[in-house]
Amino acid sequence: MVTVAAYTLLGLFLAVLQTTVLMINPMWIGAPDLYYILVAYLAYRMDILRGLIILFPVSWTMDVLSGVVLGTYPAICFIAFVLLKFTAVKMPVRESLYQVPFIGVSYLVVSKFVYLILSFMEPGVLAPWSWPAVLLRVFLLVVLAFPLFRLFEMVNRRLQGSLIPFKMLRVQGGNRYRQEMEKK
Amino acid sequence: MRARGGSKRNNGFRALRIVLFSGILLTLALIFLVSTLGTQRFGFVHKLVFEATAPVQSVFAGAAGYVNVAREEYLALFNVREENRRLWKALQESRDAANRNREALATNTRLRKLLEFKESTDLPMLAARIVGKDPSLWFRTVVVDRGSSDGVVKGMPVVDGDGVVGQVFSVSPNYSKVLLAIAPSSAIDVLLQKSRVRGILKGTGSLTYKLDYVLKTVDVQEGDHVVTAGYGGLFPTGMPVGVVSQVVRKRRGMFLDIEVTPTVDFLTLEDLLIIEREMEFTR
Repeated sequence: MVTVAAYTLLGLFLAVLQTTVLMINPMWIGAPDLYYILVAYLAYRMDILRGLIILFPVSWTMDVLSGVVLGTYPAICFIAFVLLKFTAVKMPVRESLYQVPFIGVSYLVVSKFVYLILSFMEPGVLAPWSWPAVLLRVFLLVVLAFPLFRLFEMVNRRLQGSLIPFKMLRVQGGNRYRQEMEKK
Repeated sequence: MRARGGSKRNNGFRALRIVLFSGILLTLALIFLVSTLGTQRFGFVHKLVFEATAPVQSVFAGAAGYVNVAREEYLALFNVREENRRLWKALQESRDAANRNREALATNTRLRKLLEFKESTDLPMLAARIVGKDPSLWFRTVVVDRGSSDGVVKGMPVVDGDGVVGQVFSVSPNYSKVLLAIAPSSAIDVLLQKSRVRGILKGTGSLTYKLDYVLKTVDVQEGDHVVTAGYGGLFPTGMPVGVVSQVVRKRRGMFLDIEVTPTVDFLTLEDLLIIEREMEFTR
């Protein structure tokens, strides 16, 4: 529960950062999609349920702050999450060596896919696809993935060694002595 | 015995020599003293001594002066360091003040322009500030700090001192999302100011517009001004939108391909005005 809340807050912070400080002007293409790195981290390090619970408010917020077609960011986030989760489980991408470049590749694939779907469903709403701009975003994503992953890991470690031992507060039922004996 | 006699003689000679030498010296000293005090003349000896001692004096004086200067400089270093620190602080403060002044000047110019624009029209307007920008590559929107509690409703035109910026796309109690006129989904009814020919101005996603539905028979020149037509009651008539920057006459088709450069600088947008109009679809 605490983990979910912490990562949700972190995701919201990244969304706000991306739409304010990192956007120098409304046409700026050099603002990295930080939320996507969180999506990748959740796909690689967290179970499906908690990942989806965190992604929901984050993608919702991005949808509110950006764009005119509602559902664009949830679509990007959930497709990316599923894709990355699948590849992490089924393919050698599980090796951390491949994970960072694969974030960039998956971003490119998911963006193009969602763009095609949107241009089919809402023609004339999207700006023309620009390879240089998208490749710049991919590059920024790959460059920033490692430091952000470290940040997320640090948050995770902090939460594990939290000052408030939430596990101790949990009500435990049954004969604890017997349970411990059975464990042994 | 003999040796003792020789030794006594030697001692006598030595004493005599000393007495003689002392006598001569005393005599000379007396002569020198008497001649000096008596005549008060700066004689040869004086000059000789003077010439001999003055250079030494000079060297010592120079050395003493050097030591003095070094001492003073060393002591001054402490003051200089302190003064340096003080001056750096003062310089930093001055730079900060200059920056603040420049920023204030720029803000003043921008707001003055907005105020002039606001005063030039009778339309009720609401000042708004951009608080967020759309980071996506596909959409062009900004978030402003005015919402439904300020009377903002969907569809209201948004302008700045240079002309049309866009229109309100979605509203919450305190914030609104503004669809910029350069967004591909934006379409504004406009007029070519000179010929009064009507067209539809569409965003391209970049820093230009595309003016559609202007017939080939119309005389359109680069530099012609494009203003809002006012049809449909969304934008007021005659608001500046852009300037024709390119006209292409294709062999096929009925219409001209016209590119329009916005009058608004979308890269430096900060303060906006929302024109408070009663929107038909929100009644």
